[in-house]
Amino acid sequence: MEYTKKIIGGNFSEAGEASSAIKKVLKQLGVDSQVIRRTVVAIYEAEVNVVAHAYEGLLSVLIEDDKIKIVIEDEGHGIEDIEKAMEAGYSTASEKVREMGFGAGMGLPNIKANTDKMTINSVVGKGTVIELINYF
Amino acid sequence: MEINNTNKEFYHALTIDKDVCVGCANCMSVCPTEAIRIRNGKAELYNNKCIDCGACYKVCPVKAIYIKQDDFKNIQNYKYRIALVPAILIGQFSHNIRTSQIYAAIKELGFTHVYEVENAAATIVEAYKKYMKKHKLQKPFISPFCPAVVRLIQVRFPSLVKNIIHFGVPLDFAANSIRKRLSNAGIKNEDIGMFYITPCAAKIASVKSPVEDVISPINGVINMDLIYNKIQSLITKSMPPVQSLNHALRGKDVLFSLTAGEKSRFEGRSFAIDGMKNIIEFLEQLENQEKTNVDFLELRACNQSCAGGVLTVANRFLAMERLNDRCKAIDKMNEERGMPKQGEKLDIDEQTYKKLIIPEIKPRPILKVGDNIKNSLRRLQEMENIINTLPGVHCCMCGAPNCSAFAEDIVRGNAKITDCIFYNDKPENIKKKLCEIWGKNKFFKTNNDEN
Repeated sequence: MEYTKKIIGGNFSEAGEASSAIKKVLKQLGVDSQVIRRTVVAIYEAEVNVVAHAYEGLLSVLIEDDKIKIVIEDEGHGIEDIEKAMEAGYSTASEKVREMGFGAGMGLPNIKANTDKMTINSVVGKGTVIELINYF
Repeated sequence: MEINNTNKEFYHALTIDKDVCVGCANCMSVCPTEAIRIRNGKAELYNNKCIDCGACYKVCPVKAIYIKQDDFKNIQNYKYRIALVPAILIGQFSHNIRTSQIYAAIKELGFTHVYEVENAAATIVEAYKKYMKKHKLQKPFISPFCPAVVRLIQVRFPSLVKNIIHFGVPLDFAANSIRKRLSNAGIKNEDIGMFYITPCAAKIASVKSPVEDVISPINGVINMDLIYNKIQSLITKSMPPVQSLNHALRGKDVLFSLTAGEKSRFEGRSFAIDGMKNIIEFLEQLENQEKTNVDFLELRACNQSCAGGVLTVANRFLAMERLNDRCKAIDKMNEERGMPKQGEKLDIDEQTYKKLIIPEIKPRPILKVGDNIKNSLRRLQEMENIINTLPGVHCCMCGAPNCSAFAEDIVRGNAKITDCIFYNDKPENIKKKLCEIWGKNKFFKTNNDEN
């Protein structure tokens, strides 16, 4: 089963739509509720990352019998130092974004904590691709 | 037909009288869990989905939905007949009828004791606090007060079940403590009959089929509208004299079942949310968050909490006014008597606390469409294909509340695609299927002989 959603940079009001849609599907599948919660948190954080840092992005979800695979691809600044970005509290978010209650530097660490597998590839000046897998 | 994945059927206080039902579908459109369908012109209930909130009961124009209660005569099976009265009952009457007169009328109806359940409010608040201290990691705590909310969480928000304070219904606690008091006074347990005057269907269901297999201390339930009529008739004939009442209620106790009645007694970040739609909206969001700094959630299914209970008679705002006035009067009286207004510190003992605890509240997810993930995934795919062929106008003509509920019924084997009147078909077949779903006489009244 597949799901895709286009994410527009700066559109904070719509962040959370994809995670809610996926949550409904996972509930209908009867996936364990803790796995659902982890997945929803990870997708939400990933959505917010694109909204806060990129021009636009695409979220694609593939659900199989035993796992959910999420790919978030964006066109944006890219991440200069991935290792640093993975540290809790590290943030490059603008003052404006922080004022809105985002950009606490917990995005990537939270995604990692809530997924079984995470790979991240980024090209500075072009964009970032994050692949996430959670097993049921 | 497929029965959803429940281990055990739940008792429902709501029943549909098929002889009275006219198949108007009002109930189907307001049900928050999509538990109602129209078949053969009559409303039908999916038992596993119903949470006894009573929304359907309220909108039924012909009173085809009724709330099962115990026969009033049953009270006579006991030597001591205790009426467990929620404060909201007092709120049903006009200001000039005093509480003591209502009590007197209840006794005249055959009860030997009248006990206001809110007497237990202070103890319950203390017990909540003790629970919160012991289970710090399970924040935000969700109040177990409203049985319809507990059931809603079990069926729709299984991941939040662990956040519910694992207590039996506070009402049971009130009943247990008065039972104990009476047996301490030498009364035999089997001689005590406890009858709860209920403002809603959910409380009945929780007495008849508790969340977990805890035997309820309550022997029967009587609907508030019935007792209201009986009291009102008595009072109209002859008004009992006003007496002074000897109870230990504090003003705020009588507000316990109104919105913010619980919230107002806790410190920290908390919310009091009433109305099913508001609760669902809030819980959807709560579920998406990993950590919240919310401490306590008071959630009540009815608008204005128990003042809006489906079995109440008075306008909910008038009932609230009455209770607020009573709160002030009680505070004033207590002050004159020298009773402290504040002072919640009852310091509940371990034994009392343990009696409140229930070991487990099991999730009963209704959303999953198959037995296992593989099967569900296949069915979900099927559902998506079906939904794509449906018009999506949610006309309800198929007897389901919307197209996706209909698609779900199809993959579960409870409906067939041809039930959709827009499904490519000959005009005469459309007529035939409409008759099947909505009954012969609904749409073709002038020429029903043909059918």
